[in-house]
Amino acid sequence: MGILAIMVLNKAGGLIYQRDFNEGLKKLSSNDYLVLAGTFHGVHAITSRVSPVPGSGGLEIMESEHFRMQCFQTLTGTKFLIFAQPHQPNIDVIVKRVYELYADYVMKNPFYQIEMPIRCEAFDRNLLAYIQPRQ
Amino acid sequence: MSANKAARIGEEVWKTRIDKVNAELVTLTYGSIVAQLCKDMEGDYLEVNKQLEKMGYNIGLRLIEDFLAKTNMGKCANFRETAETISKIGFKVFLNITPTVTNWTTDGKQFSLIFEENPLADFVELPDDGRAQNELWYSNLLCGVLRGSLEMVQMQVDAHFVNDVLRGNEVTEMRVTLVRIIDDELPPGED
Amino acid sequence: MQRQDPLQSPFVPFSPNPSLQQGTPTATAPLKHSLTASQSSNLRYSSSRKSIYDRHLNRTQRSELSKSSFAFLFGEMVQYAQKRVSGIQDLEKKSATPSFVPTHVSPAGPRHLKSLSEAIHSLTPRRLNLHGYTIGQRLLELLLWRDGRSAKRETRILGILQFITTTLYRSIFNKPADALEKSRDNEDEYMLIDNDPMVSSYISIPKEMSQLNCAAFVAGIIEAVLDGCLFPSRVTAHSVPTEQFPGKTVFLIKFDESVLEREAVL
Repeated sequence: MGILAIMVLNKAGGLIYQRDFNEGLKKLSSNDYLVLAGTFHGVHAITSRVSPVPGSGGLEIMESEHFRMQCFQTLTGTKFLIFAQPHQPNIDVIVKRVYELYADYVMKNPFYQIEMPIRCEAFDRNLLAYIQPRQ
Repeated sequence: MSANKAARIGEEVWKTRIDKVNAELVTLTYGSIVAQLCKDMEGDYLEVNKQLEKMGYNIGLRLIEDFLAKTNMGKCANFRETAETISKIGFKVFLNITPTVTNWTTDGKQFSLIFEENPLADFVELPDDGRAQNELWYSNLLCGVLRGSLEMVQMQVDAHFVNDVLRGNEVTEMRVTLVRIIDDELPPGED
Repeated sequence: MQRQDPLQSPFVPFSPNPSLQQGTPTATAPLKHSLTASQSSNLRYSSSRKSIYDRHLNRTQRSELSKSSFAFLFGEMVQYAQKRVSGIQDLEKKSATPSFVPTHVSPAGPRHLKSLSEAIHSLTPRRLNLHGYTIGQRLLELLLWRDGRSAKRETRILGILQFITTTLYRSIFNKPADALEKSRDNEDEYMLIDNDPMVSSYISIPKEMSQLNCAAFVAGIIEAVLDGCLFPSRVTAHSVPTEQFPGKTVFLIKFDESVLEREAVL
């Protein structure tokens, strides 16, 4: 399995969580990540409107030779971005599990403020425990 | 989606995907919260109602993600489907009850939830001070939960109790009204 | 409540007469006609439904609800407790006024707060402890009633601690506590260990609040049970995270002088 990175965006497109799971990735500054997230949020909104198919959602998958990016938007507007090796199977399953972990360790944490950056130790721990054995 | 299908989904999720705890612990915990509020508000039951609704609202904002993550539900086609989803799946998955949906208005924007059982109010008797039975809605937290969770999926609703067996009424009944659908606002400058 | 003089009653009761019994109801016929409320009760009851006194107490014994429901409720409880203690003026008021000390607590209950800084650091766990306390009082009654005739009245420290570690813990959390230890340094201190307290399953304490442990709630439950069984004590929750168990919690149980004196005599 080759999950490279995971990002979580809040409803307004703000980056609330970013984590690399592969040592070889180039590190960006935190500002860069914020810009990246905001850009994606805008692109996502635009693609849902320019789509020739009526009633279509926004950008879901982006593939290149080097990576595959999948975006899952919940009904509440939260976006989960998974960056993986190309031809990585079962990303849907992985995204679902990440969503469940988010619902458990972020939503049920009374010290987490909604829409704010995620600083929940239990979420980090459980996410790592889920992703790492499968790398 | 029909009521039957919703009931089947609710039952299946409850059986296979939900971690469970002792119901009495939850009942006692809720009771402790209400009792503490009554003490803090110094017997102003109308204020307690407000606080319970607000707490429920805060819970609702978060609970919706847990609900969506566990049930994989997509968008509901109309408000009737929403009602069935709430009663057969939502309440089933969290409280293991399925309140009945009735008393629809002709425009389909308002319905009632009738609670045969209410685990939050098990073994509860309101204080006998002449006011509690007239002013306090014990389970008001549930109204806030509905309001908060539906707001996160673009529905603005109003939910309030109209009957409660704790008050001596025949049934426990919550009235839910769809106020409006919250449309996404386009960022300025975008057509 | 009517009391019949047992000597004058022509019948020897087959099972305890509800109107003579004080406290918890027995497993006899529903108390439909007994005076469950005072003569001047103004409570209205639904005509179609039975009152709570008609429902059997064991009805919900095995009932289950979703862990999420508890987690969300508990989370709100923690947030509410925090909100009530934020603000220095609020703190000063809360630590000084007697209304903060619960009136239903036994005489050996929570100690008064000595300083303002102590107040600041201990108020949230205090309120959580209080919530747990009211629950513990009720749970104790329920557990002892359910044990029925085989309920044993614990008189020794080890006995009551075993009760808490096994029976109480199992009834709430479906598993016994992980370990029970006696302090080497202090005669009056015992430690109950839970590797992964259920109440804190989803909670991550921010670094700036590391002294807060939400299991103070469970500490309150334990304290109520001890107080109710006449082992006055003070119970606090402390985080002792390990690599394997990041949520590991020690409940420090500090018994009153009177308990040790009694233990020595027995």
